[in-house]
Amino acid sequence: MDDGVQTQIERQRMDADIVCVGFGPATAGFLATLSKQLVNADGTPAIESAVMPGLPPQVLCYERSDDIGFGVSGVVTKARALRATFPDLDQAQIPMATPVGEEKVLYLLDPHGASRRSAALRLADAFIRAFQWMLPFEQHGLKLPWTPPFLHKHGGMVLSLGQFMQWAGAQVQATGTVQIWPGTPVAKILIEDANPNMAQASSPASSAGVSPGVSIGSGALPQPAAGTDCATLTSRSKVVGVRLLDQGVDKKGNPLEGFTPGMDIRAALTVVGDGPIGPIGQQLEAHFDMPHDHHKRDWAVGMKFVVDLPENTALKPGTVLHTFGYPEPEIFGFLYVHPERVASLGIFVPSWFDSPVRTAYRYLQHWMLHPYLWRYLQGGKLRSWGAKTLGESGRRGEPHLVGDGYARIGEGSGSTNVLTGSGVDEAWATGTQLAEAVLELLKVKKSFTKENLEATYVKRRRASWVEREARVAEKSRDGFQQGVVRGLMGMALAGLTKGKLTLGGEPVQPWKRIPSPEEYYRGKIPVAEIQKLRKECTIKGVSLHGVLMDRLGWPAIPFDGQLLVSHQDALLMGGKVQAPPGYADHVVFLYPELCQKCGTKICIEACSGQAIAPGENGVPNFDREKCVHCGACLWNCSQPLPYDSERGNIAFRAGTGGLHSAEN
Amino acid sequence: METILLLAHTETDGSLAQSAREALHVAATLHKSVAVSQLVVGLIGENVQSAADAIAACPATKYFGVIGKDFSQSRYATDTAAAEAICRTSGATVVVAPATSRWNRVLAGVAQRLGGHVDTHINGVSANDGKIAVNRWYYRQRMEAVLNRKQRPWFMLIDPGSQPACQSRSGTASIKNVVVELSDACKRTTVIGVREPAADAQTIRPDAQLLFVTGAGWTKKQADGQPHVPEAEKLIRGFLQLSRASLGSSKSLVDQSGEGQAILSFLSHLNQIGQTGATPRHPKGLSTCCHGEEPHTVGWRFVAERRAINLDPNCGWARGKADVLYVADAFKVMTKVNELLAAKT
Amino acid sequence: MNTVYQIVVCAGIVPDPLQTLEPVASPSGPALKNEMMLPAVLDPWASHSLYEAANLAKHLPGSKVWLVSLGPKAKLQQVMMTVAQKVPFELVALDGPGGGFTEAAEVAAMLAEAIQAIPGLDKSKLLVFGGWESASRGAGATMQMVGERLGIMDQFQGVDELKIAADGSLEILERIEGGKHQISKCAGLPALLGWATGNLPEPKNNPQIGMVNMRTVMPALQKAKPVKFAGDGLSFVNVALPKQLRETRIVKDKSPDDVAKEIIEWIKK
Ligand SMILES: Cc1cc2nc3c(=O)[nH]c(=O)nc-3n(C[C@H](O)[C@H](O)[C@H](O)COP(=O)(O)OP(=O)(O)OC[C@H]3O[C@@H](n4cnc5c(N)ncnc54)[C@H](O)[C@@H]3O)c2cc1C
Ligand SMILES: Cc1cc2nc3c(=O)[nH]c(=O)nc-3n(C[C@H](O)[C@H](O)[C@H](O)COP(=O)(O)OP(=O)(O)OC[C@H]3O[C@@H](n4cnc5c(N)ncnc54)[C@H](O)[C@@H]3O)c2cc1C
Ligand code: SF4
Ligand code: SF4
Repeated sequence: MDDGVQTQIERQRMDADIVCVGFGPATAGFLATLSKQLVNADGTPAIESAVMPGLPPQVLCYERSDDIGFGVSGVVTKARALRATFPDLDQAQIPMATPVGEEKVLYLLDPHGASRRSAALRLADAFIRAFQWMLPFEQHGLKLPWTPPFLHKHGGMVLSLGQFMQWAGAQVQATGTVQIWPGTPVAKILIEDANPNMAQASSPASSAGVSPGVSIGSGALPQPAAGTDCATLTSRSKVVGVRLLDQGVDKKGNPLEGFTPGMDIRAALTVVGDGPIGPIGQQLEAHFDMPHDHHKRDWAVGMKFVVDLPENTALKPGTVLHTFGYPEPEIFGFLYVHPERVASLGIFVPSWFDSPVRTAYRYLQHWMLHPYLWRYLQGGKLRSWGAKTLGESGRRGEPHLVGDGYARIGEGSGSTNVLTGSGVDEAWATGTQLAEAVLELLKVKKSFTKENLEATYVKRRRASWVEREARVAEKSRDGFQQGVVRGLMGMALAGLTKGKLTLGGEPVQPWKRIPSPEEYYRGKIPVAEIQKLRKECTIKGVSLHGVLMDRLGWPAIPFDGQLLVSHQDALLMGGKVQAPPGYADHVVFLYPELCQKCGTKICIEACSGQAIAPGENGVPNFDREKCVHCGACLWNCSQPLPYDSERGNIAFRAGTGGLHSAEN
Repeated sequence: METILLLAHTETDGSLAQSAREALHVAATLHKSVAVSQLVVGLIGENVQSAADAIAACPATKYFGVIGKDFSQSRYATDTAAAEAICRTSGATVVVAPATSRWNRVLAGVAQRLGGHVDTHINGVSANDGKIAVNRWYYRQRMEAVLNRKQRPWFMLIDPGSQPACQSRSGTASIKNVVVELSDACKRTTVIGVREPAADAQTIRPDAQLLFVTGAGWTKKQADGQPHVPEAEKLIRGFLQLSRASLGSSKSLVDQSGEGQAILSFLSHLNQIGQTGATPRHPKGLSTCCHGEEPHTVGWRFVAERRAINLDPNCGWARGKADVLYVADAFKVMTKVNELLAAKT
Repeated sequence: MNTVYQIVVCAGIVPDPLQTLEPVASPSGPALKNEMMLPAVLDPWASHSLYEAANLAKHLPGSKVWLVSLGPKAKLQQVMMTVAQKVPFELVALDGPGGGFTEAAEVAAMLAEAIQAIPGLDKSKLLVFGGWESASRGAGATMQMVGERLGIMDQFQGVDELKIAADGSLEILERIEGGKHQISKCAGLPALLGWATGNLPEPKNNPQIGMVNMRTVMPALQKAKPVKFAGDGLSFVNVALPKQLRETRIVKDKSPDDVAKEIIEWIKK
């Protein structure tokens, strides 16, 4: 429903001191640090609430997914920041956690000849095969003689981020000073403008009826005016809290029986830790724009399995394997071993993998079936499955970290280090930095203005290891823009020279990189055949990648009902995906006419949950009950918005449901 | 010695239900396999003579009855009082009863009163060297356990339909009348009637022998490049009429109907089978034009015999989810099936 | 009529219904594999009874709802965060094993004791609610035993509807065989109702209710009484999953007519 209609609705309002969006590691770090210092040992408030005098500050956190730990993913971490918060951290308390043991990097060759390899790579492959007798080569895999130090996680932990978050959530809530509410998505950020007229001008979605001067970040379409002409003025806008999602509505957001408008939660400080694809972060970026030269163009979707390894497994707990080269040269893989014969494994399909048919699921299965890995996995059983986007822009994707009334932490704030492949520890660290800053401000009763937050939080962040390492990483992966070999060299170069040397290539928007299948397979599959296959798939209501991969010589997946299962079966058996009724679709095709003329329909191909399928008149269908909120559709769309070339034709808004597994 | 009591209530017409005979079968079998045991029967109802006579040839040595108008009602206070009295009088150590809604309501309470224990959702009872074991479900029929208990009395509620019925012939039973004094407090509740769903053109028929499942394939474009929805509708309706099957559906198909498209008019979300739909119980199930994905087939847990018709030999049914998969065009097969059914009736 | 009710709802926690469950042997008897890692929810039928209780209390001013829940404290805390935004209640927590293999009689004893300890409890105002069957033990036995221990002689199971008449009498619909309902009238309190689905939709999340509930939820969890079960006299011989995969016979080369004939034969069998 538009905001135009919503303005007629009476909304309830609740006041808190601090409201947090999302409970990922960033917010957990924030709350873990904050909660310890809000009350004195005798139970009296150490700091007084502004909205409930006599009580400690009222701190609320709203998490989208149906339980703590369902919406996150992560496995191996140096755990520097985690240990700083919990010095006595006992890994035995956290299921699936264990110290990092052996680390290996593997280059996987293609045993089927179906992947798309450059001439340089083919040459290298031929060389490796020719000299395999003198190389650490077995089962079509080459172990790199040494793991570059920047990839080392020694001294760290292999864990399940889901389990860790459940544990951390319990610790935080046991203090009794903060509340974390899962199953409660934040729909919108509430922004109040110093100049109410300006608010009208800056955002057409503003809702004059609510309260004068309050504009609401629309999940949908920021029109050209937003953040451009008014940038200087709107930068004085103030965030005053958040609005929760409407309940009791149909797919389109129209009220049904039991309609409950999302409540407005007003707070002096809004902490935005909604991850790389969070809608609140997006709204802030639409309203306040990105800093000059900053953009979010590099992404990857990570898809993973948690597997019960066969009884006689040779893999030891703590083992860390990284792979590259297969199933496509651009796809990175990982396999980490937990205690008790459990492994987390998966792949990352990056935005700079230029293929228009890029289903992570099918590729993941081929990757598992690679002889080097399959000997460990055969006989294993699927426990959990999931997918999630990784924001790979690093510092270059850093938005305005603070403004009046808000601060951003975690991956959405550009904290993830793409060079070291580490995001959890960094996110946690930014959360703790903000908590220290907030405590400092609360103690001296200073307000949460942009300046005050800059002088406390941003200052801490800039002085920390997170920033130092992010600078090294900043351009490390740009080489990939021009191919894998160059990319890998660039990464090594940046890592080893501590960022002094990089291999250039400014990232471009994903949509610029996506060719149509006809172009991509030129010389391999005749155009007429692709068109025929597309027609058949549209009739069947399925994506195209399956038949195209078959056609290119990828072998069929030998389903075994245990580990190799159909994509839909993985949703249920692994992800336990579900969505409660009564909420609007959170994936929306903004301009149907763009979809109609879109040749790639890459949203269908890329969807991690088969939740997007061919629909009537060329506009895809979205099935909320299958969506795992991975966010891949957000950045994979091949058509830019007419007025914003950084954004595609899909709106990814706040929504409920998704994965119901806390093992990812 | 075990005293095995079959505890049953009569129906409104004074007869014994099939489920009571099934429980009797369990009790009698148990009695046979526990060397030192006796079998007794306890009956509750307005009048129990004809029910007792109907099973008089069974190996029970004694019959106990609690009778009277007050015991015609399915009511906690009076039923617990009656059951308690029979258990005490008979000295029962093992109480076997059909899991009717009436007994489900009360027997756990009776067990509590007698300091005993109760197992429900039992689908098998056995004895080995005098040691009795029951098979029962846990986690809503997702796990089956076999267990023993030392304590007595031990109440066992047998799931209807899980056992053969005792075929014992009739005769004349001599019933010991157990008198139960009821206080007024026992009669604060009165049963005032039964509400039944309207017997209209329901497509969902819980008691049907066959579950007929329709999938999205019925509305998809067929070999000629065209969908054939009206024909599909006719075939499905025809089959339902002729077979009296209960209609189930895949999610994909009901979802289409929901969006107001020209899709099968008689389907609603109530027909959906699967993880986000229903898990009905039927002896047989026939799936047509449905791919057999896990989220759908989990709804088939209680469908004993499963067959599927699908054009795709690699569909989910082929992977251990059906007993038989016919790789065939459901339009053609069902046309013929309807023809054959029509010819027979 | 100005009735004030005290409604005590007994609801345990169970694994989120979609989780893959697998039994394992543990020193204290059968358990679920990774039991502590499985996401949990408030037992579905029991949570319906909580919604019914809250709805009743809302319409009878002065009435109050308690939620008595037994389960591992850490899990209880987690589940409370998904329940506490739904309806107002006061939590009474018992810290103990929440799995399905514990003995109904022992659980009932603990619950009854906790109910009796609620300050100011007045039997003439008491309605005890719960789920008809849990999604864990799935027995439909615990509530009756709780009722017996509390001396409640008017008990109903598989309840789908409760109406309160002007004279304070209760009209109750219980599920019986054949998709029908038995209608009973109960003259007064106390009464115990084991609910099935009822008719209320799941309440929407209300942050204000959440805020208020949390004032009692956290303290209740902190002082949750630890309980242990003996499981005397009960021994499990075996716990197993039903066999799921079948040997599929794939019939490929029959004509539609022959397939039809085979199907007819099978249906008639
Ligand atoms: C497959 C995969 C594997 C990874 N492995 C590793 C690893 O091994 N080591 C490592 O260090 N990092 C790893 N990462 C990266 C790591 O997961 C992230 O960097 C880290 O989780 C970021 O933390 P965050 O708190 O910023 O955001 P997130 O973890 O994304 O958390 C954001 C939270 O906000 C919630 N949210 C979003 N929108 C809303 C809304 N509107 N309302 C309410 N809540 C909302 C989300 O549900 C989520 O819980 C991996 C990432 C992926 C995808
Ligand atoms: C979290 C989640 C929950 C879900 N819950 C459910 C649920 O409760 N119930 C449910 O059903 N699904 C559920 N699904 C969806 C499920 O995974 C499948 O998408 C759905 O069951 C597919 O329906 P279908 O087999 O009818 O359609 P399709 O997959 O489109 O299959 C159509 C089939 O028809 C066949 N066909 C076409 N024409 C003919 C013909 N002439 N003769 C014979 N065969 C023909 C085709 O070969 C194909 O196999 C859920 C999914 C998720 C992710
Ligand atoms: S959402 Fe984007 S990729 Fe998908 S069909 Fe529309 S324009 Fe094409
Ligand atoms: S629709 Fe959902 S599952 Fe599919 S790509 Fe988008 S977020 Fe991921």
